[in-house]
Amino acid sequence: MTAFGLAAVVGGMFAVGTFLLLRRDLVRVVWGVTVLSQAANVYLLTMGGIVLGMGETVPVLAHHGGEPPQTADPVVQALVLTAIVISFGMTAFALVLSLRVYEENGSLDLSKLEGDA
Amino acid sequence: MSTFVVAPILTALFTAVTALLLHRRTRLQTAASLAGTVAYAAAVGVLAWRVALAPDPVGATTYQVGGWPAPFGITLVADALAAFMLVMVATVGVASLVFSTRYVEAPEEKRFYHPLFHFLLVGVSGAFLTGDVFNLFVWFEVMLMASYVFVVFYGGPQHTRAALRYVALNLVGSALMLLAVGGLYATTGTLNMADMSRRLAEPAAYGISVEPVVGLSALLLSVFALKAGLVPFQFWVPSAYRAAPLPVTAMLAGATKKVGIYALVRLYFTVFAAAELPVSLPLPGVDGGSPLAFFAPALFLMAVASVVVGGFGAVDADSFEGVLAYSSIGQIGFIAIPVAIGAAASSPALRRLGVLAGLVYALNHALAKGTLFLTAAATRSAVGTSRLEDLGGLASRSPLLGSVFLVGALALVGIPPLSGFFGKFLAFDVAVRAEAAVAVAVLLLGTGLTIAYTTRAWNRAFWGQQSAAVGAADVDPVQAAVLVGLALTIVAVGVGFDPVYEFAEAAARAATDRGAYVDAVDPADVETGGESA
Repeated sequence: MTAFGLAAVVGGMFAVGTFLLLRRDLVRVVWGVTVLSQAANVYLLTMGGIVLGMGETVPVLAHHGGEPPQTADPVVQALVLTAIVISFGMTAFALVLSLRVYEENGSLDLSKLEGDA
Repeated sequence: MSTFVVAPILTALFTAVTALLLHRRTRLQTAASLAGTVAYAAAVGVLAWRVALAPDPVGATTYQVGGWPAPFGITLVADALAAFMLVMVATVGVASLVFSTRYVEAPEEKRFYHPLFHFLLVGVSGAFLTGDVFNLFVWFEVMLMASYVFVVFYGGPQHTRAALRYVALNLVGSALMLLAVGGLYATTGTLNMADMSRRLAEPAAYGISVEPVVGLSALLLSVFALKAGLVPFQFWVPSAYRAAPLPVTAMLAGATKKVGIYALVRLYFTVFAAAELPVSLPLPGVDGGSPLAFFAPALFLMAVASVVVGGFGAVDADSFEGVLAYSSIGQIGFIAIPVAIGAAASSPALRRLGVLAGLVYALNHALAKGTLFLTAAATRSAVGTSRLEDLGGLASRSPLLGSVFLVGALALVGIPPLSGFFGKFLAFDVAVRAEAAVAVAVLLLGTGLTIAYTTRAWNRAFWGQQSAAVGAADVDPVQAAVLVGLALTIVAVGVGFDPVYEFAEAAARAATDRGAYVDAVDPADVETGGESA
């Protein structure tokens, strides 16, 4: 059930991101890129799968007795943390660029930015 | 475990931070930046000497970051392929930075130019040295982040527009690369390239299935093609190359584009080639085997389209750097054609020869295009413009600039005894050996187009009556010295080609010899596999 839920969320996020990316309004394009990279992050998390935690894989569980809870793969979480930091920086940069475009053109409409770039 | 592997990255990072700290004292900063570049070149030289060039080379050497053994930690791998690419980047990098000291002169421009330049070097060196797929993504981002800022460096409206296109495309590319990396991790249960290669070779022993790798590697192909600027992912190239400061464009064309090519060669030939696929598709030229069989036709089509689009675009461009920017789309096609033929080849010898030809061509392109972009930069700083219609008679005003352009252009065309001759010769050799008539025809067409656009640029800019702007132009002596140095390098590589060939052959062997790569990294055996997803 979780798998279907996650698959639907990832698919929905990719759809929304792609839709926004193709808009004419620059801020929506930046939003689109942001949603896309978040979709990639959620996808990364699901790629780790959910496995039963054991004393060998999660050492702290060995000393705490009882039934070890289910744990997710820590590697993908480390990957997602790195990816979040990178996409944060890139979103900030893209927003600054949008501000520049607005200052220079008085508009965020991409169809009005035509010209030899 | 050797620290010389990590030295190029650390040297560039240290210089970048130092230059950033010295941003208020521009003279000191420039000195530190120059010293740092020399140190970087020395570090690369030591690495290349130890790994490949010495009479008794140690071969592929690894550095386990933080002392964590592979495949748990991040592994840096210096083999002949990485060394070859690093030497290429260091050559263009030193020339471009020395040139920049006389090109970027306003203090507020200098202030961030030098730190960014070294951050670009950090990203490029990291991408060449890493042995971890996710780490490759991180180094790509480091490299891209610096190049984004370079594209908006002059801060005019056209630079913002170019950067917008470049940034949006690359952000989508990064998301795709994350998808591919995540999928590969879920499929193979590892991020370490050597471990992945080993697992793909024996899927049954690790309980993994290899079929998803074809689709995931196709995602990676599109990401790397975007970085390399292959058609149909080329449309950011002309605007970004015209917007960035020209010495940096020499680096972008000479170094960052090659990172895309390097990543293709490394991941496909060293990692994905290990997988054996049982499926067979009713497509011409695709008959199961390894994912390389699927990769080869796709890359070949992209390369052919690049040669055509780049060639015709360059014939039509209206400025000096416009010609060069379109030309570098076409030239990346020339690099990719032998690589694609090598990927399709079933014999290991031809496969190695394909990679070898691609590498030699890449070296030639880095040197020739670096020289030509710096010639365009020297023209712009001497004349004040680089629009072909405002130029004319440059060769009579400055015979030196004319001769340097001639050497770069002839190397691009492939005239002996320059470096380009061997690049072209090996590419044709591979195409003929593989009996690929289409490839030979496209290579001939591309060469014809190269002759057409270099001749056109020569006629417009260097021959004829001196225009008013050209009449008052004087070339800066430092810039001239750098240009002469690069032109002499092109001649030297062509005349003394034997050691270069041996180096490139060692690099091609390192790219195709999976066993040696896996043995060098020697990842510990882990009892997980990818079935957890």
